[in-house]
Amino acid sequence: MDASVWITLGLTLKVAAWATGINLILGTAIGWLLANRRFPGRELLDAILTLPFVLPPTVLGYYLLVVIGRNGWLGRWLNDTFGITLIFTWQGAVIAASLVAFPLVLKSARAAFEGVDPQLEKAARVLGLSEWAVFFRVTLPMAWPGILAGTLLVFARSLGEFGATLMVAGSIPGKTQTLSIAVYEAVQAGQDSIANMLVVITSVTCIVVLLLAGRLAPFRPTR
Amino acid sequence: MSTRSSRVALVDLLPLLLLLVCLPLRAAELTVSAATSLSSAFRELAPMFEAQSAGTRVLFNFAASDALLAQIARGAPVDVFASADEETMDRAEKQKLLVPGSRRTLASNTLVLILPNDSAPGLNTLADLQQPRIKRVALGTPSIAPAGRYARSALEAANVWPGVKPKAIYAQNVRQVLDYVARGEVDAGFVYATDAAIMKDKVRIGFSVPTATRITYPVSAIAVSRNVAEARRFVDFLLSPAAQAVLARHGFGKP
Amino acid sequence: MSFDVDIMKTVGDARRRFQLQVKFTMQARRTVIYGPSGAGKSLTLQALAGLLQPDSGRISFADQVLYDSAQGTWVPARRRAFGYLFQDYALFPHLNVRQNIAFGLAPGLRNPSIAVAGEAVEHWLQALDLGEVAAQRPAELSGGQRQRTALARALVNSPRALLLDEPFSALDPELRTRTRTELDLLLARVGIPMLMITHDPEDLEWFGEQALYLRDGRISERRAAD
Repeated sequence: MDASVWITLGLTLKVAAWATGINLILGTAIGWLLANRRFPGRELLDAILTLPFVLPPTVLGYYLLVVIGRNGWLGRWLNDTFGITLIFTWQGAVIAASLVAFPLVLKSARAAFEGVDPQLEKAARVLGLSEWAVFFRVTLPMAWPGILAGTLLVFARSLGEFGATLMVAGSIPGKTQTLSIAVYEAVQAGQDSIANMLVVITSVTCIVVLLLAGRLAPFRPTR
Repeated sequence: MSTRSSRVALVDLLPLLLLLVCLPLRAAELTVSAATSLSSAFRELAPMFEAQSAGTRVLFNFAASDALLAQIARGAPVDVFASADEETMDRAEKQKLLVPGSRRTLASNTLVLILPNDSAPGLNTLADLQQPRIKRVALGTPSIAPAGRYARSALEAANVWPGVKPKAIYAQNVRQVLDYVARGEVDAGFVYATDAAIMKDKVRIGFSVPTATRITYPVSAIAVSRNVAEARRFVDFLLSPAAQAVLARHGFGKP
Repeated sequence: MSFDVDIMKTVGDARRRFQLQVKFTMQARRTVIYGPSGAGKSLTLQALAGLLQPDSGRISFADQVLYDSAQGTWVPARRRAFGYLFQDYALFPHLNVRQNIAFGLAPGLRNPSIAVAGEAVEHWLQALDLGEVAAQRPAELSGGQRQRTALARALVNSPRALLLDEPFSALDPELRTRTRTELDLLLARVGIPMLMITHDPEDLEWFGEQALYLRDGRISERRAAD
């Protein structure tokens, strides 16, 4: 067993974890917004934010390359202002994975929030709770099972992200060469034994994640 | 009496028979897997071959040489394989994937270091890549692209690989390296001289990279081909003066 | 005198419009707003509770102005200190009876713990005969138990007034009489003004010291011929 396989696994989990974390927060916040606030252009915003799910990953990868690359408008601004480069870094891989998977948690969160009984929120208000308390004590617990389901999908998608990452990651072993890319390259290089090992490790990881998630799934209220 | 009627019947059938015999020939396709660096030249050569081969259509599959070999090894229905280094073709031969005796050398190439057009001068040797202003250097992934292997070998031979390795960005094939340099995403990249010529307006050649072995392109017919005769004809065509002239125009050297 | 109300609210879209124009003063300790479905009873009650903002008008309770469109005054629901009983109780399904009852007592962003205790919680658990089911979740309770839990939850905060939205409509007829009796005694003990909305004439008989008739969004003090 090559040590580099574990490094690749560690990197892939790191990228997937970050992408999941970012998407969980952003997806929940924006999902809540779309579910609870009416404003002109709401559905248009929803459609635009869902676009990464519909576009082929390589198309997204190309957009990313153009935007966050050294000469892209965002990439150049980040570099000039903060000295940050995103392309060819694991942070860039996180962005690619986040972008691709975002719609998964957005849709789930919005549906989950729309499914929360508004009477419960009203009851909480009348009982004296501030809006933040209503959100954390009533709305979020009610929506949580749906959001969690979406989050799991995000994690799985981030773990397997390939097309967009391939364009902006630079496949640097230990830094941006994620499991999917490693498998792809091993197959292309005719290194079947390495490919097999990587595939087995990825599958086992996914099964473990699913089992853990099943443990963590909270109370599901019966209505 | 019966003989005459049977002869008439045969005559009636003849056009149909001819048609049946001719049909497969008309629909002949040749699948050519070739290294990415050959793509521009081969695309120009295809119509030339088709014109002189009565209906054979040439279909291309361009990728890094090792990737192509992996596909062929798994039974991909390829008729001709052209690789960017002898080593990959040797592996194909060892795995008995080639039609014996059909292997030829098609052309040669040189490895060059390219830079974005607007980069500052002062990069003349491999050792210069260790300068701090060079933050990223792109090359093909060595496990799947010969160009990447050539580059790494050259850097190792010049004793600068340890200094350049931390800056290395690995691409899936030479064209992706070319793209990265053209976009300015990397400060330098290793491609073939023929690739550099494609984006003359965006990249410039810093210098030629000496390689331990001459970079030559072997080509061969593949054993599983359903049309070995046509495949061999294509290989012969590639070595014809007309085809060689096209290759030369694209910057390839003599085989 | 407790509630003094004069509000207007239009709801609906281009296809269906409903205009609520309600003006009344609550003079008795127990007042019933009686009217058929769709008359606007729920809207009125929610406006009083601060769950719905009218388009214009004024609402005051005792000497406090809760809403005044001319002055731009609006006291949000959480600061009105009213107890509210929803028609289907709106118990929190992810919390048990104890936690539901203690809900309003716990400030901050965390729910009360599963075994939350305290004088007020124990008092209401006993008073409403919920001791045995204290650790159960609403899904496991009977209709009557749910109603009592909702009542306990509303009362544990020592509200200034009790607002009830069709409190008996979800119960079986046999249970209703018993529950009405219990509520009657409870109100006598607690001693705060109560406003109930209902379409059940029995409720009117039981609790209508003052009766207001709501029909098509308007109040009258005289009962219309049904």
